[in-house]
Amino acid sequence: MALKRKVRILIAKIGLDGHDRGAKVLASMLRDNGYEVIYLGLYNTPEMVVQSAIQEAVDIIGISFHSGEHLTLTPILMNKLREHQLGEIPVIIGGIIPMEDENILIGMGVKRVFRGSLVSEVIEYLNHYFK
Amino acid sequence: MEEKEKDSDVMDSYHEKPTGFKTWSGLPLKNWYGPGDVSTINYGKNIGDPGNFPYTRGIHQDMFRGRYWTRREVTGYGTPEETNQRLKYLIKEGSGGLNVIPDNPSIMGIDSDHPRAKGEVGVQGVPMCTRQDMELLMEDIPLEKISMSLIVSSTQTPVALSQYIALAESRGLKPSDLAGTTQNDPIHCRYAGFANSSPINLALKTGVDVIEYCTLNMPRWYPINVNMYDLREQGINAAQELAFGFSMAMLYIQGVLNRGLDIDSFAPRFAFYCSAHIDFFEEIAKLRAARRIWARIMKERFGAKNPNSLKFKFGIHTAGCSLVPQQPLNNIIRVAYEAMAAVLAGVQSLHCCSYDEPIALPTEESVRLAIRTQQILAYETGVALVADPLGGSYFIENLTEEIEQQANIIMEKIETQGGMKKALQMGWIDAQIDEAALKYQREVENGEHIVVGLNKFRTDEETSVGKVHRISPDSEEKQITRLKKLRESRDEKKVKDALRALKSRAEEGEKENLIPAMIEASRQYATIAEILGTVRIVMGEPYDPLGVLSHPFF
Repeated sequence: MALKRKVRILIAKIGLDGHDRGAKVLASMLRDNGYEVIYLGLYNTPEMVVQSAIQEAVDIIGISFHSGEHLTLTPILMNKLREHQLGEIPVIIGGIIPMEDENILIGMGVKRVFRGSLVSEVIEYLNHYFK
Repeated sequence: MEEKEKDSDVMDSYHEKPTGFKTWSGLPLKNWYGPGDVSTINYGKNIGDPGNFPYTRGIHQDMFRGRYWTRREVTGYGTPEETNQRLKYLIKEGSGGLNVIPDNPSIMGIDSDHPRAKGEVGVQGVPMCTRQDMELLMEDIPLEKISMSLIVSSTQTPVALSQYIALAESRGLKPSDLAGTTQNDPIHCRYAGFANSSPINLALKTGVDVIEYCTLNMPRWYPINVNMYDLREQGINAAQELAFGFSMAMLYIQGVLNRGLDIDSFAPRFAFYCSAHIDFFEEIAKLRAARRIWARIMKERFGAKNPNSLKFKFGIHTAGCSLVPQQPLNNIIRVAYEAMAAVLAGVQSLHCCSYDEPIALPTEESVRLAIRTQQILAYETGVALVADPLGGSYFIENLTEEIEQQANIIMEKIETQGGMKKALQMGWIDAQIDEAALKYQREVENGEHIVVGLNKFRTDEETSVGKVHRISPDSEEKQITRLKKLRESRDEKKVKDALRALKSRAEEGEKENLIPAMIEASRQYATIAEILGTVRIVMGEPYDPLGVLSHPFF
């Protein structure tokens, strides 16, 4: 049986916000479910995320927000990805996001927004996406 | 077919019953409790009347008849001028206790014009870079008439306090005229996401400096608020909250004792910040146990004699992590139960979460509702009229004892590792937190714990909270422009001299108190990054916690 390459997902927080419980728990549970997680932790810039995405050849990027920086930092990240010809890498976002902002983020090119969801919903989405 | 399904749904819901018989922290519960469950508990020795050792039933004999708990709501956003407007509004509405939170760059000890601060200035709090920000923040507010709570990290506390004192001086006031609180917890900010800006040795040193300075100069100031709340929010359980919090407190106390201060000279000014999570009886029992444990630690371990040193004084923050964005109005109910638990447990100061917090920054309306929740509790429900109304309940006394024992076991584990600092440096505390957070999440994922709207009783359409509070995009630019102007207009030589003096004081060693030198630097409008960076360099840390900037003067 051919060994299937594990899906590689980058999980990070960008900006100075320190609420990382959600991102850490998600990273652990994704590992338990067969994903290869590259966890960057706190205080990343969009540039740092893009550089890691290149070095680690990730299949998808997950960013966690908590304090209202999602509208200012997401477009910077999306532009940087495009600058590096990585516009094809799907970006998903989770955390404290007002419902009204979901469509704005989708409009910026974000694939999916999880607003305080169960981890199982994220896993279900990923399993389906990478089927 | 469809109707049949509906019938069985109805029957299912009629026969539904709880599936697990454990508290949220995992303590097994019996069907009922009786005299046999409290037979080892001696009323005089283990419980005591309210106001009497070991203070299980409360620190005051008359409890809320003497005075209600303080209703404090956190403020801080945009520019110092904008927050000043909100503070004046709160004072006009009758609030004497102000509660100001800084933005993320200030908490980290970097300036508003730091390249990495872009998009963060004034977002989660108010920028506090220099004495000028403090002047604008407190404009037209009489410092001698209010009680000021600065929710500042131990990294930021010495600077924020120095700015506040320098401002007071310019108005002809002395440090001893000032009343208030600084958070100043050297360890908690590691677990609130500020680990690299608060290296443990630096945080402990400045944290102890603040306590020592306030003990000697500011009798009306509470220099430290040991913050168990932020640790609990990371996913730990009730007993861990107490054990970690008390182990931190003992470390700080030892630090102050090492400066040669008498335990009873500063212990009465120690206060705590705890969580009120969703498990109603467990949280009440936890807080009752906390009073008993603290009284014994202070008496037996530190030999405190002043009864005020033995009294566990605590503020409560209802549990932000218990709220969910699904069907957000449900959060109003959660907060109300949590707040009631806090009051039944004899709280000194209460902050209620706003129901829209899992969605966005709270609006003015949702903050008002949080205050109203407290007022309904205080004025309508009658729960505040009798001290410790649940005391003597077989169940509550048994649960209090149970949590006390669990917390003591964890504290012993920390002790055998050489205390909190060692346990933390070895990674034990972090591992415990990660494990607990995962356990918590797994129990929610598998339905062991029900969260209404999240893993049960979901609806297809989600409700919006309507208005979302947004920070004006001009705020950041205004703040940065003003800071740059200040850098140009201040007396550069005086700033440099003050920082040089601070540097040589810091080089004197760990026991040299740096607050007076920081006050002088604040007088000269040195920025928070310059002041802390100077001390960081002496302690072998980089000038800039984010490693981007270097010292502007030396």
